[in-house]
Amino acid sequence: MTDQPLADQATGRKLVIAAAADLPPGTRMEVRVGNNLIAVFNIAGTYYAIYGRCPHQFAPLSRGRLQGTVICNAQTNWETEWAHEGEVLVCPGHAMEFLVKTGQAIGYNLKLRTYPVYEEDGQVVLIA
Amino acid sequence: MPSEIDDLDIKATKVDAAFTPVQDQDLDQYGEALAQYTIVDTDVHVDDTLMRMVDYMEGHYQKRLQAALQADFRGEPGNSLRNMIAHVNWLGSSYDKPPRAKLATKTELLERMQLGIINYSILFPSELLPIAYLPDPKWAAALATAYNAFMVDEYGNLPGVKIALVVSPNLPDHAVEQIAKYGNHKDVVAVCVPDVGVNPPIGDRKYWPIFEAADHYHLPIALHGIEALVHDNYPLRVSHFPTLMQVHSMGFPFTGMLQVMSVVCEGVPVRFPKLKFCVVEAGLTWIPFIMYRLDTAYRQYRTELPALEQKPSDYIREWYWGTHELEALPKRGDLRKLIELYQGEDTTMWASDWPHLERDLIAGFMRYDMSEAMRRKILGENAVRFFNLEQRK
Repeated sequence: MTDQPLADQATGRKLVIAAAADLPPGTRMEVRVGNNLIAVFNIAGTYYAIYGRCPHQFAPLSRGRLQGTVICNAQTNWETEWAHEGEVLVCPGHAMEFLVKTGQAIGYNLKLRTYPVYEEDGQVVLIA
Repeated sequence: MPSEIDDLDIKATKVDAAFTPVQDQDLDQYGEALAQYTIVDTDVHVDDTLMRMVDYMEGHYQKRLQAALQADFRGEPGNSLRNMIAHVNWLGSSYDKPPRAKLATKTELLERMQLGIINYSILFPSELLPIAYLPDPKWAAALATAYNAFMVDEYGNLPGVKIALVVSPNLPDHAVEQIAKYGNHKDVVAVCVPDVGVNPPIGDRKYWPIFEAADHYHLPIALHGIEALVHDNYPLRVSHFPTLMQVHSMGFPFTGMLQVMSVVCEGVPVRFPKLKFCVVEAGLTWIPFIMYRLDTAYRQYRTELPALEQKPSDYIREWYWGTHELEALPKRGDLRKLIELYQGEDTTMWASDWPHLERDLIAGFMRYDMSEAMRRKILGENAVRFFNLEQRK
């Protein structure tokens, strides 16, 4: 899965994707821009946008559940702990996990593209 | 949807999180690209939980299974610790992450077929796969009897739907009876031998009546593995593995290698030269290893295998292989290279394992580069030949 172009069609243009009232906390949207797919989430009032297809077998990440996961590292003194509650996007295909805020795949040297997304004049604006 | 630019096709849709795995949404992405192929899904699973079996059990086995199903678990995995006892060592692994695997209903199977993309689905057992190592082979045979009757009754005479019989290898006489009973059914296209935990391995003479019967009815033998239940037979002594990931990763391919080696080294292809074999749900990367590893040893140990008339890889090259579970090969050309290495362009068959959690989406196969001819063969032509689908339309 290393040679897959992840978001080569991003244009960097300013796209209004929804009225802010239509994307309240706890909801998400799938945004298709040309052939590109982007998953947009409202988590507790903050918007996040991430490349919309899993690099494994291209399942749509907009349908993934947001939950926590287990970590085990020097900071946890090599004990297994639950972490990142509500910020781990689990692919609905085969459960590969991504940190929704950064695009980092958990347990892989791989990062999905993320996109600026914010509210402006009552609209949700995506830069893609 | 409002947008500040006009020249780009933009569509924003509200969606919900999926609590069951996404399935074939990717099939329609390919539109015309897939329409030109005959597509055979070589490994498909429908609901064969014990509740489905009970009406088809015979004699006291039916009464005893009815009593068992009156216990609290009702055939539904997950709501009883006793029912999950086989998984209890591994509860902390894949079982805590959605999406969870589901078994498909008949309606779901037909809906998938009605997309018009997959021409044939070959149905394999799911819940019945542990029968090869049930302690009492008579129970295994009773379950196989019920499964075959259920499948022919429920899934026979459906367009494009074909069935692999299941037999319990540890009671070969019973397996022969089952093959004779259904061998001429137009929708029965293979004999599935669950291969995990089979002791002795499947090439042993004990099982040859099964091969003889399958050969008689021109049915190929399909070996199908299973990942994780408790048994202590080589090569998968699951008690040694603390995580399900390890059981899963080693279990399927090592079982496949063991059984391929056993069949070849016991001389089965010499005794039954027209009988076809395949391995499904074991991936592909191990195939060149076992072929050429055996060839190397054969030079030294040939006198242990006096029945063989060719080197081992010459026999193994005749086997067929289901693609699932496609290993995560890093480069787009790697699958073609792998298949070239085991000379499998004419013997590799696309298989999804739908709808199980680890199923391969078709995108997982389409992402690999290969010639048009190779893709056409793997998506359907090889399976049409292996399962005699033209003859059993």
